[in-house]
Amino acid sequence: MPSLLPEKLELEALDRPKGFRRFIAGETSGSFDAFVGLDSPDSVDVAARKAAAIERVSADICGALYGDLDMSNARIPLASFSDYYCPFCRVQTKSFADMTSKMPDQVAIAWHELPLLGDSSNLAAKAALAAKRQGAYVAFQERLMTSPFQATPEYLARLSEDLGVDGEQLVADMESPEVARELENSAALAQVFAFVGTPALVIGRTVVQGQVSDRMIRKIIDLEREEGWDLACVSA
Amino acid sequence: MKGAVSQIGAGLLSIMLGCVSILAAAGADAAESETFSNPAVTARLISAEDGIAPDAASVSLGLALEYGEGWKGYWRTPGEVGLAPKLDWAGSTNLKSAELLWPAPERFEAFGIENFGYSGRVVLPIRARLEDAGHPLELRARVSLLTCSTVCVPHDFELSLALPQGIGIDTDSARQIATYADRVPAVPENSDIRISVTALDSRDSALIVMATSDTPFGKVDVFPEFGPLVTFGKPDIRLDRDRTELWAQIPINAWTEEHAEPSLTITDTARAITAPITLTSDPPAPPFSSANPRASVLKVVAVAAIAFLGGLILNVMPCVLPVLSIKLTSVLKATGQTRQMTRNGFLFSALGVLTFVWALAAALVFLQWIGVSVGWGIQFQNPVFVTLMFMVIAVFAANLFGAFEITLPAALQDRLGASSARAGYISDFGTGLLAAILATPCSAPFLGTAITFALAGTSLEVVKIFTALGLGLALPYIVIAARPELVTRLPRPGRWMLLVRILLGGLLLATAAWLLFVLIGVAGGRVAAIVSSLTAVFIVAASIQRANRWARRAVLSACVLLAIFGAGFISMPNRTTAAFDATSHWQNFEPLGIARRVSEGEIVFVDVTADWCLTCKANKSLVLDRDPVRARLRGGSVIAMQADWTRPDDNITRFLERYDRYGIPFNIVFGPGAPSGIALPEILTPQAVIDALDTASVRSLARE
Repeated sequence: MPSLLPEKLELEALDRPKGFRRFIAGETSGSFDAFVGLDSPDSVDVAARKAAAIERVSADICGALYGDLDMSNARIPLASFSDYYCPFCRVQTKSFADMTSKMPDQVAIAWHELPLLGDSSNLAAKAALAAKRQGAYVAFQERLMTSPFQATPEYLARLSEDLGVDGEQLVADMESPEVARELENSAALAQVFAFVGTPALVIGRTVVQGQVSDRMIRKIIDLEREEGWDLACVSA
Repeated sequence: MKGAVSQIGAGLLSIMLGCVSILAAAGADAAESETFSNPAVTARLISAEDGIAPDAASVSLGLALEYGEGWKGYWRTPGEVGLAPKLDWAGSTNLKSAELLWPAPERFEAFGIENFGYSGRVVLPIRARLEDAGHPLELRARVSLLTCSTVCVPHDFELSLALPQGIGIDTDSARQIATYADRVPAVPENSDIRISVTALDSRDSALIVMATSDTPFGKVDVFPEFGPLVTFGKPDIRLDRDRTELWAQIPINAWTEEHAEPSLTITDTARAITAPITLTSDPPAPPFSSANPRASVLKVVAVAAIAFLGGLILNVMPCVLPVLSIKLTSVLKATGQTRQMTRNGFLFSALGVLTFVWALAAALVFLQWIGVSVGWGIQFQNPVFVTLMFMVIAVFAANLFGAFEITLPAALQDRLGASSARAGYISDFGTGLLAAILATPCSAPFLGTAITFALAGTSLEVVKIFTALGLGLALPYIVIAARPELVTRLPRPGRWMLLVRILLGGLLLATAAWLLFVLIGVAGGRVAAIVSSLTAVFIVAASIQRANRWARRAVLSACVLLAIFGAGFISMPNRTTAAFDATSHWQNFEPLGIARRVSEGEIVFVDVTADWCLTCKANKSLVLDRDPVRARLRGGSVIAMQADWTRPDDNITRFLERYDRYGIPFNIVFGPGAPSGIALPEILTPQAVIDALDTASVRSLARE
């Protein structure tokens, strides 16, 4: 069984988006078509919305990636892309959540949903983003660890109660244009960065696709701090 | 991708960006589509027929998939996460319907999540029916499928295949499709597996399944399907002695009354069945212990050798050493014994050891027979047994300290004092018996393996392995029996004997104290106090030189009877989780929560221990309760669970069985890097524990 944990920090500059670079992680990067998702062929309308989103995020990559993270105290931003129905995503979400609680002055995390797996994934992603608006993103992920997501009103009411969030607000947020736009932006970023699947990760200006050890993530964080991660954002 | 595509022309499989190439089978106009290929999966559409024969109304197709190393794809029911492959035939001509068939799935466990699907090669057979029989068929399949390793990569691609009118079989494709069509689970009418019971337990927490089969089950697994909203955990599957009856309990992770029409698939080595099921309440209890594969002769021999060695080592363990010392004292005391008498004495001791071991084996075989699960050292969970052991050892200790001489009934005593050997032999035999009885809680290194193996095997294996164990334990006696002159090498009697006696008495006293401690754990402090008082009375009564013989006997008998009565009938205090104080880093044992916690990225360390397990105590004080291990267990990154087996506990017994262990200590570490657990050796070292914790915390590619 080949390990996907290369212990060498090898980086390769990306042509697009400019200023970013890719962490060379075994066989999971490259060799694949860029991420397409499992959608039915797009309608004209959907295609236009996607194109608009790509244009939007390309204009301000860092803004789309890291949004309004608090970057004071020399924190390094980290964007995590995951799908609720991908096994390893759950593990990674948890480990990043732990990382932020252990080193709050060093990293700040932007959670992106990249639902690849059809309707259940889409709905769960909306619910996760709605929960995120009430500060319960990680709690939501944990709560759904062994149970499938259901979109029934009763279920959502019970879920909100468990998470300690406002249920009506959650349902309203799920269908809000803001959440829809957030999903479009994340999908567009995935296109721009040519992600092949989930989980995917951008640390500062380093793109990581696939599994890396926590140690390697810390190494990359240190490197980003030394070199100044916002180089990419200035040149964008 | 090695060697699996030999029929394809050479040099075609470069791993290029989604490389798509048209392939031709060697020398034939093969009926197969172009190939979609990347490191995760290679996919082709294949057909058993090269062309559509006149009047043919259907055709056998297959979606041939080859997953790259470490990659997995999913079954029609993927499990908790994942996604089943989907085919859309829009754009095909002359296709009326296409039915996808699903070969029996494998079970994958990654990050504590149960998934069902395929790895390596698989062909999903497709039954295609034509609109117009005998006319050409143009297939266009849009395939969406998900592959996961530690990364989930979705694929969405088109495969096309044209079958003109014509006659001819593509033998290679036909063989592949047939091979995997054989692996599609049979319907109940065509299977010799009969599902007899499917029931929910009282709390809707598990599904219980019972099934029978005419031919013995081999490697068996069960996959319930209740639609996407109901998910299950890892099943506990048990087979009866001749492996024709199956009982399985599958924990329910998520349940809804609004589930889909339920069905159940049972897979066995080369066969499988899928049947619709009707749920009943009133689930049957687990009828037999977990299934274990048959063992080879070589394995039995190897394990017997290990058992022999383990038995030998037991002699120097603290539980047994005092007994061996009793034996040696008796030799020191006995002057003027003939060579033959010494030899016989030691032979009788050896026989005593073997007798107990055989009795134990017989009892185990009997218990296996009636389906009770047993463990090694379990007799120390019985308060009456512990009470008796405590009294015997305490009395022996008092005797060594010279409180009294053990006087057997006068008639016997005369013989003992004289040269008559019979009573001596009885006590020799008793010594051996005692040694063997006391040996049981000291699961020495190597021993766990052997006992486990024996308990999981056939009756004959139990007897063989226990005999080997007994021979190992009896070896010192057998050696002296073989060469009695060794006894004469012992120094002449003298003052040093007093020292030896005190030393041995001290050892026995320590053993007695430990037994009392076990008794407190097993029966509670009150019982322990009563038993120790009665034992004290016993010793005092025995020490009074001039007491009336009958009165003394009455007192002694009363003490023993009262102690046994007390141990057996005084209600035991409930040792609840109060033992886990808030300051301790040990948490309560929750076997069902382990998978969930691992899936959340936590590391779980499980310590199965008991008051009567000396090795466990040693592990605890030498390794687990000392830095660096203690620091790691307390550091917040590890959940330390302690399972207390001092008293019988079905949950713990089942947990041990799942890892093929029947004795303790048992320590196992789970984590994202080791979702199935890393079992640790019985005697722990700090390094072994730290290494296991490190391995469990580092996530490497998901292992099956």
